[in-house]
Amino acid sequence: MTLKQQAIGERKKGMPSFSLFLQNKKFYKGIGLLAVFLLFLLPVLRLVWLSFVNDSGLTLDYYRQVLQETATWVTVQNTLIIVLGSTLLALVLGVVFSWIVAYVDVSGKRTMQLFIFLPFIIPSYITTLAWTQFFSGSGPVAALLSRLPGNLEVPNLYSIGGIILLLGLSHYPLVYLFTVNVFRKIPRDLEEAAATSGLSKKQTLQKVVLPLALPGIASGGLIAFLSNLDNFGIPAFLGTPSNIRVLSTYIYEQVVGFGPEAFSRAAVLSAMLGVIALAGTLLQWFLLRRSRVTETARSDSQPRIFLEPMKRRLLEIALWTFLLVTSVMPLIAMGALSLISAYGVPFTLENLSLKNYEQVFLNDSKPAAAFMNSLKLALVTMAICLFLGTLFAYLRFKSPDWSTKTAELFITIPYALPGTVFALCMIFMWMEPVPGWNPGIYGTVFILFIAYTTRFLVLQVRGSYTAFLQIDPSMEEAARTSGAKGWAKWSKILLPLLLPGILSGALLVFLMALTELTVSSLLWSSGSETIGVVIFGYEQAGYSTYSTAFSTVLVLGILLSGALFMMLGKLWDRKVLKAK
Amino acid sequence: MNKLFTGASVLAMTAMLAACSGEEAANNAEAESADSGSAVSGSLDFYTSQPDADAQALVDAFTEKNPDVEVSIFRSGTEEVVSKIQAEDQAGDIQADVLLVADSVTFENFKKEELLLPYKSPEAEAIDESFIDPDGAYTGTKVMATGLVVNTNEVKDLPDSWTVLTEEASKGKAVMPSPLYSGAAAYNLGVITKQEDMGWEFYENMRTNDITITQGNGAVLEGVAMGEQHYGMIVDYLVAQAKSDGSPVELVYPKEGVPVITEPVGILANTDNEKAAQAFVDFVLSEEGQELASEQGYTPIREGIEAPEGLKSLDEMNVLEADSVELLETREDDKAKFGEIFGQ
Repeated sequence: MTLKQQAIGERKKGMPSFSLFLQNKKFYKGIGLLAVFLLFLLPVLRLVWLSFVNDSGLTLDYYRQVLQETATWVTVQNTLIIVLGSTLLALVLGVVFSWIVAYVDVSGKRTMQLFIFLPFIIPSYITTLAWTQFFSGSGPVAALLSRLPGNLEVPNLYSIGGIILLLGLSHYPLVYLFTVNVFRKIPRDLEEAAATSGLSKKQTLQKVVLPLALPGIASGGLIAFLSNLDNFGIPAFLGTPSNIRVLSTYIYEQVVGFGPEAFSRAAVLSAMLGVIALAGTLLQWFLLRRSRVTETARSDSQPRIFLEPMKRRLLEIALWTFLLVTSVMPLIAMGALSLISAYGVPFTLENLSLKNYEQVFLNDSKPAAAFMNSLKLALVTMAICLFLGTLFAYLRFKSPDWSTKTAELFITIPYALPGTVFALCMIFMWMEPVPGWNPGIYGTVFILFIAYTTRFLVLQVRGSYTAFLQIDPSMEEAARTSGAKGWAKWSKILLPLLLPGILSGALLVFLMALTELTVSSLLWSSGSETIGVVIFGYEQAGYSTYSTAFSTVLVLGILLSGALFMMLGKLWDRKVLKAK
Repeated sequence: MNKLFTGASVLAMTAMLAACSGEEAANNAEAESADSGSAVSGSLDFYTSQPDADAQALVDAFTEKNPDVEVSIFRSGTEEVVSKIQAEDQAGDIQADVLLVADSVTFENFKKEELLLPYKSPEAEAIDESFIDPDGAYTGTKVMATGLVVNTNEVKDLPDSWTVLTEEASKGKAVMPSPLYSGAAAYNLGVITKQEDMGWEFYENMRTNDITITQGNGAVLEGVAMGEQHYGMIVDYLVAQAKSDGSPVELVYPKEGVPVITEPVGILANTDNEKAAQAFVDFVLSEEGQELASEQGYTPIREGIEAPEGLKSLDEMNVLEADSVELLETREDDKAKFGEIFGQ
């Protein structure tokens, strides 16, 4: 504890490099907080406001009404079970995979990383389609079970368990992404020290490695938690047939049930969802309070644990089997559907065609335009978030007081709301930011920039903040005492250490913005179609064959750029870190 | 909330000035076009739930005739379009000029909220009166029946009645869209439960028969075509399209009759361009517009224009009727009751 206080004290002393900020600290703090409030919280408050007013003025009727209904509490209960269950699953899978990739000597790690990402990139309606076919009466699981002794039944995916499984599988890459760099940075000598002091490998893991990796695990866990909370596609697809509702689907049902009460009731439920999201964020703070600042080490991707050849083989087989089932199977299901000429025709050579690709990429001009739009949107959003998010993470790290904490809470909310609700908030806010004044933002592509940035900024903040937590304040001190200031300090010392973590956040923002669906489907306008809008359109018109063709090309494109990205990363490691 | 913004009065002033000059410009433009005596001009915001390509083709055909009008399309599911308009209304200004979405009940709701501008198109004379709002708030543009889809690989004897969905033989083998997600399905729910010989009992029996509920019609088609289920309740044109693509499906119009949605078109009350909006409505209902609908694979609503291959035309169908006003009144209760029946 004293060590920690000392560390904080040193951190505070380290502030003079930021003296300009300190002099006008109160002023800037106020401005910053106000900006965050206006951009992130006010749009949501405008929706929540609806839950307090009716024709006759202020009222609590909507709350009374909604809170008295049994359906509400059944929904909240389902939501809690599903979100906690899937977050736990995502945490276990994410931590296990990142630990193995960071420490254990298995081959083909780089390729493995790409496949770990797949479940997250493949649109969730494709994932669910693939899994339901996998588990259907005529699917491979049923065939396998029928050969086994005993009357084994195929597990029913249209259940709470099924929703938990698919949410967990779709979001464990988030935990992986936030954790793997943290694992790599844990100094090897700490583990060695633990071993020489007589701790077993298991104890070392429990007492040294996991606590030190906590910042990453907690950040990844929080993002997975929020993603599970706001996910609409999976619970809608799997929950509808068995009448299992969670808050995100229940809110959607309220919104589309028109009438003057629709938004008010949806607002009450959104407020409840917001409370759950806040509870998750607070829990994560509580966990991080106990984490310790480590000695700064640059990331070390050399394996630390070597297995006997036999065990290693077995582990590799197990890992790849898991990856093939969870990542490659949905991709193949998607590819297969995109090649077929019509639903339900047998999958034979004569029924395979590129007709769907032809339609999507040659006959229709929209998908190509949408792709360019989404790419631009994703790149710009990523750039803005990269800058603002890292800046905020730095402030949050440097002065962890009430103002930055409050700001962080504000920034988290837009990500936790279901996309449809968040889009409505954007309309309420930006059509007439000041009543009677329409600045012409709504209805143009700018509304999408604002929406994406406010929605995804938290991903960058978490990524960058986790990276900062890995840096011992002494590094900055050392830089200062050796005369490195400003840009030099950043470019020579801090950035190389921070970059992997910061880039993880940026990558997430980019991927999320590229494939975003629900927000854009309410906010787009002619000429600013996005990939999500086009896919949504195909789906609604009953053309899954087209949307899968589009998605397949998209996923393959992402895989390709992923491979490129990793090569660049390797290059960076070599050039920059060696040069230092 | 408004109080928050009193400090921003300067901004508001500027905005008002800007708004005034904008209005002036619009007036000038209108005057000009009236002077020249040519067709309508200006811009139109068209909100619709038609598939993207269909909406684009309609707009293209319209602008070919009215080259001075610039139409922007917003297309999404009916539910999203309706939410967007409600949110825009809530925020102060509806952007849409013309609206074309699923069913008359949706329009009845907007009419009740006084968001629609009455317009009786001269073209509507060739359309059955039951599809036109007596006050001219909206007019049907197509006939979309909900019938049965059957997987022909699995089923050899085609059924002729809705009762196939409640028979023991189809237990666990049937599928329908959820009225909680799809406006069209909510319309069907309202109409079918108001028929004497079907009623709520029909839905209760389907529940007992373990029918699967999906979000929308597209998923129903997918499930049946892929053989996951054998029968489905579905909007007709999807089946005709899939069949012509080669899917093993057949469309059946049950003998009891079919609920029909009409994808009405209407003009929003606060439109900035009434003339162009009216011209657009005229075009949709005109012979040319209806021919286009037929080419796109929908049953046209205008008398004397043929239905596309695989679909019945209006006079061949036995339509299950229900009053739109009454349907609107009971919709929330209907949905709630549906939720109860299918609840666990």
